[in-house]
Amino acid sequence: MLRIERVGFTTVQDAGRSGFAHLGVPTSGAADRASYLLANRLAGNAPDAALFETAGGLSFSALADVDVVITGAECDAVAGGRPVAHCAAFMLRRGESLTMSRVREGVRSYVAVSGGIVGTAILGSLSHDTLSGIVPVALQPGAELAAGASVASPSSLDTPIRPAPARMLRVTKGPHHDFVSVNDSDFLARNIFRVSTRSDRIGVRLSADAPSKTGTAATLRSVPLVRGAVQLTPSGELVVMLADHPTTGGYPVIAVAQPDDVDRLAQTATDVALTLAWSQ
Amino acid sequence: MRARRYGAEATFVDELSPGEPVMLREVLLAAFAAAGVRVSDVVPAADTLVVTHDADDVAAVAQLITECSRTLEPLKLEITRDDTRVVEIPVRYDGEDLREVAESCSLSVDEVIALHAGADYRVEFCGFAPGFAYLRGLTAALHVPRRASPRTRVPAGAVAIAAEYSAVYPRESPGGWHLLGTTSLVMWDTARPAPALLVPGARVRFVEVK
Repeated sequence: MLRIERVGFTTVQDAGRSGFAHLGVPTSGAADRASYLLANRLAGNAPDAALFETAGGLSFSALADVDVVITGAECDAVAGGRPVAHCAAFMLRRGESLTMSRVREGVRSYVAVSGGIVGTAILGSLSHDTLSGIVPVALQPGAELAAGASVASPSSLDTPIRPAPARMLRVTKGPHHDFVSVNDSDFLARNIFRVSTRSDRIGVRLSADAPSKTGTAATLRSVPLVRGAVQLTPSGELVVMLADHPTTGGYPVIAVAQPDDVDRLAQTATDVALTLAWSQ
Repeated sequence: MRARRYGAEATFVDELSPGEPVMLREVLLAAFAAAGVRVSDVVPAADTLVVTHDADDVAAVAQLITECSRTLEPLKLEITRDDTRVVEIPVRYDGEDLREVAESCSLSVDEVIALHAGADYRVEFCGFAPGFAYLRGLTAALHVPRRASPRTRVPAGAVAIAAEYSAVYPRESPGGWHLLGTTSLVMWDTARPAPALLVPGARVRFVEVK
């Protein structure tokens, strides 16, 4: 059992909900899937267990001894007065608190407790879907959360993994690639893009150093979107779809990013510059 | 009909006619189940469809889509014959945009109501929000583009139109559609065994209540 002391910028996430996208329900789930899977593996959890995804500020206390692991973005964290090592399991004794302040490098930290967070799933998942407002596990100070049973012993990495920012986003052509006219190919091929402050769990917005020459008049029929789909908006920004992306969208999808690079993008801080690398 | 890669974990199908994506979804779900190919989602849109799947299953999914494209025609007839159930949505026509829509369509308010409630609709696809169904069947006389500036708050149950679609807002949200009225039906409730009242392919009618 855990008691939330401070929520900060934290949601509960698991592997997300599938099978409901045709009803307009986003997949949701952890934004950086690699760090999510690593946290559960080190905590001795099932690969689809629920954990905390936090961009900082989370604090909770243990109501019983519990093993904890932090992966993803490295942050300043203190457990029972001791500094916490990254990607290493540690025990939080009954009555002790884990307090996380700001993220030092990256964007999102993953905090798994052994056994995972348990609760009443909505549509098969405990993930907080920020687009639809589906919140199976509400976090507020004083809330008590239960942990389940772990499937293995907790463990640690000898060399902690710190997600590197995406300097290069590997993409393949999207269904509307032709929408970017021939004389505007430099916009995508040679441009420098920067992660905008208006990025969130729904999508990472990339603003171009050299604006698009492509007109915005085209009206397209909405198409189904997937994680990593890259939309070109009327204002000339790119939006790379993240965990809580809408199921359909009407802006041209000019590219789709590689899944691993979407993980990296989810850990790429504001103003980091990146380029697109096209492949077949 | 054409299928191609949509990133590493999805397949994009286009060159479909309106109405075909919903039927293709049914056909594909059966084919994937029979072949033992596990997919995450099969999502229809207006004239496209996307299958999300494991990166390892790209070839298997592509092959099943090709096979299904050959059997789509006969199955289409079977599916069309099979659905007689119509979801009736009671509407109080008290929407804020009723008068404006009537003016821009050169109709009276009563004519707008009669045209909207007189048509047969079918859910072409869902999107925008859980349970938000794009209903095809709106008469051309009521086709008006979205509002120039969207409202920041549209109430749950608002019955609205935009371009060639009608829809019911399943929960309070921002929205740029023209509001014709309201229904007391709950369009989306995750506590129900079937959370969405309207699913792709469903037939729908609006019934005026005074």
